[in-house]
Amino acid sequence: MTTSHENEKEKMETHVKPTSLASVAQAHNVKVPGTRALGTGLETRGVHAWFGKHHALADISLDFAAGTVTALIGPSGCGKSTYIRTINRMHEFIPGAAMAGEVLLDGKDVYAPGTDVTKIRLQIGMVFQKPNPFPSMTIGENVLSGLKLAQIKAENKDDLLEECLERAGLWSEVKDRLGAHGGSLSGGQQQRLCIARALAVRPQVLLMDEPCSALDPGSTLRIEETIRHLSDSMTIIIVTHNMQQAARVSDYTAFFLSDGGPGQMIEVAPTSEIFSRPQDPRTENYVTGRFG
Amino acid sequence: MALIRSVFQDELDSVSQSLVDLTSMVSASMEQATTAILNSDLNLAQEVIAADEKIDDFQHEIDARIIDIIARQQPVASDLRALVTALRMSSDLERMGDLSHHVAKIARLRHPDPAVPTELIQTITSMGSAAVKITNKTGIVITTRDTDMALEVERDDDEIDNLHRQLIGVLIEPTWKHGIETAIDLTLLGRYYERYADHAVSISRRVYFLVTGKFAS
Repeated sequence: MTTSHENEKEKMETHVKPTSLASVAQAHNVKVPGTRALGTGLETRGVHAWFGKHHALADISLDFAAGTVTALIGPSGCGKSTYIRTINRMHEFIPGAAMAGEVLLDGKDVYAPGTDVTKIRLQIGMVFQKPNPFPSMTIGENVLSGLKLAQIKAENKDDLLEECLERAGLWSEVKDRLGAHGGSLSGGQQQRLCIARALAVRPQVLLMDEPCSALDPGSTLRIEETIRHLSDSMTIIIVTHNMQQAARVSDYTAFFLSDGGPGQMIEVAPTSEIFSRPQDPRTENYVTGRFG
Repeated sequence: MALIRSVFQDELDSVSQSLVDLTSMVSASMEQATTAILNSDLNLAQEVIAADEKIDDFQHEIDARIIDIIARQQPVASDLRALVTALRMSSDLERMGDLSHHVAKIARLRHPDPAVPTELIQTITSMGSAAVKITNKTGIVITTRDTDMALEVERDDDEIDNLHRQLIGVLIEPTWKHGIETAIDLTLLGRYYERYADHAVSISRRVYFLVTGKFAS
């Protein structure tokens, strides 16, 4: 991780006040789920990201209430994926990448010195655009692979396997062939297998980076149903280019945009507001398809 | 992409223009119905009655286009509001056409006798011209999306409400000498004009919502 932006980070920390999604909902007089009953949730404060000298993302402060789904929308290159990759420290995998700001999970900064990055990624799972099961592993092995890699001992693996596949909406389709290879499943099933794999380590937060962009409408619908069910027990952030998907699955929507400079968050509001009466004309133009 | 969105914009503009055209048809219909009832003009009454079918057909055509646009373009935000309100405005306009048709039917029913006694000609004339005026203003509101003018339409409606009250006041006077049948006709006529104007107000309120995303209080 590059640390040349430490001064900038210090500067950012002084003024940042995260946008609380709950307060946004209150301001719009809209009822949305999202109590703090599941934990203190996830919060980012003044997050910036760079790729070398390229400033990719500027000053994103958001406070995700536990048990909510937040959709991140915006044109390609506006920093949505970069933003979610800063949340579980995937961003730092890229050579020359740097970030500033804070990502707080249950009030603790995931970038604090001495933090076990592997542990963070267990708490903040991720599902990618392209389904990426381990093709030579069986369905069952795929689901339990995270536990094995993290050396976590599960008391009853069969129960855990069934629970994760059930929650990912895949159990009824694969229960009779758990020994089949992950690669033998359809694209939509593979993506749900990846979700089941992410669930096995019991994350508090699930990041989804365009999880349905390679899937047919039927598989997309099943993943969306899975997202809605999972949101009862975790915080979900989904990057999507599909406006209807954002409208269907999320409680809140944040619109990101780059005007040639670093990507910024233009507007965040309850999803019903973003798709019925957005406040910023740039959001309006984007959701109505007038640019992007 | 740009081309598809520009076609979409053209479709939205075309729906808006069709609503303005329907407003003009409805306004002309009420103007002619009022002339027919004041002059006991059977031919004109017949024309208004026949024209109602054209208004209904045009409304169905507009609604079909709106449903097609919603199905193909999945509009959101102001585009969605524009189309949903257009559906409801077309329904208001169709009802306004029906009310003109009802006025013309009273003229036809009483022909060759006059439906309106001399002492109430001025009141019905005023109601008719106020109804046409409010409809024409509504057409301008649909075109310009002027929210101030949209709220003005609501105030203009007060004039018709006052005339309606005046009319009912005359009908319930003990000195009324034109019989029950004429009183019923005039009660209905007054109600038709009053409801007609209410639909114009409703359309203007919908334009206010379309523009602001908020309901007019």
